[in-house]
Amino acid sequence: MSGVYLYALLGANPATSPGVGVSDEPLRTVDLGGLFALVGDVPAALAPSPATLTAQDAVLRRLATGVDAILPARFGTLVADDATLVESLTARRTELTRALAQVSGCEQMTLRVWGEQAAPPADAGVTDAGPGARYLAARRRARQVPEVDTLRRRLGALVKAERVERHDRPPLLATVQHLVPRGESAQYLAEVEAAGAQLAPWRVTVTGPWLPYAFGGAA
Amino acid sequence: MTTPTRATARDVLDTTDSSLLDLVDNLLNRGVVISGEVMLGLAGVDLVYLRVSALLCAADRISDGRP
Repeated sequence: MSGVYLYALLGANPATSPGVGVSDEPLRTVDLGGLFALVGDVPAALAPSPATLTAQDAVLRRLATGVDAILPARFGTLVADDATLVESLTARRTELTRALAQVSGCEQMTLRVWGEQAAPPADAGVTDAGPGARYLAARRRARQVPEVDTLRRRLGALVKAERVERHDRPPLLATVQHLVPRGESAQYLAEVEAAGAQLAPWRVTVTGPWLPYAFGGAA
Repeated sequence: MTTPTRATARDVLDTTDSSLLDLVDNLLNRGVVISGEVMLGLAGVDLVYLRVSALLCAADRISDGRP
């Protein structure tokens, strides 16, 4: 099933040749009007494996050194031709342009919060609220990680944007992705290490820097 | 009391490096999704709409054959 494989969206055309992709295919860009799709023409999409995921990430990391704004596409995104690609992305151009502006010059750090039991939410005492208020409280809780608030305050100056996802299956309680300026990840890691010991009974692990995978706008 | 689910998750955590976990999460679960006529190249692999709650198992499954 040959087609056009989407690697990423770029805020600008790379100044130098984008080189080759995971299957050694030459990479090229498709102009979407103010943003560019980085694509390769492939005979078939690759199956996901640690090797292919790592290879795709490596292609994008190499590219990222030459462009400020890069939004990786989800692995395995293959379309029939350029026209289909342009049609699919044009409808979301405003949102994607905004997302590219946000991630420009930034990289992603990923925190995971572990523990046997989540901290009670700040509004746990509110039990007599109506269904609307309960709904809004639940929405707010889904974006809160009281377990690591002290760490988040400490990281505040480094963080340009944040994504929070709570999980309902301990020991993984929450995933927090932070957008930090490129080159600041060492300082970020140092802050996490310094604050991590004070978070008991909760524990955090951190990975990165990553390309800004989690900041591509709404799915 | 430890449930089987928790025990399984812990086993995977103990044996899987967290960078692989995040590689799977970032590339298969995040990233820009395009609308329209898309042929996802993941036929036969039910990882496309993976949620993080299933990530531990997924990372374990694709770890086979890792060098």
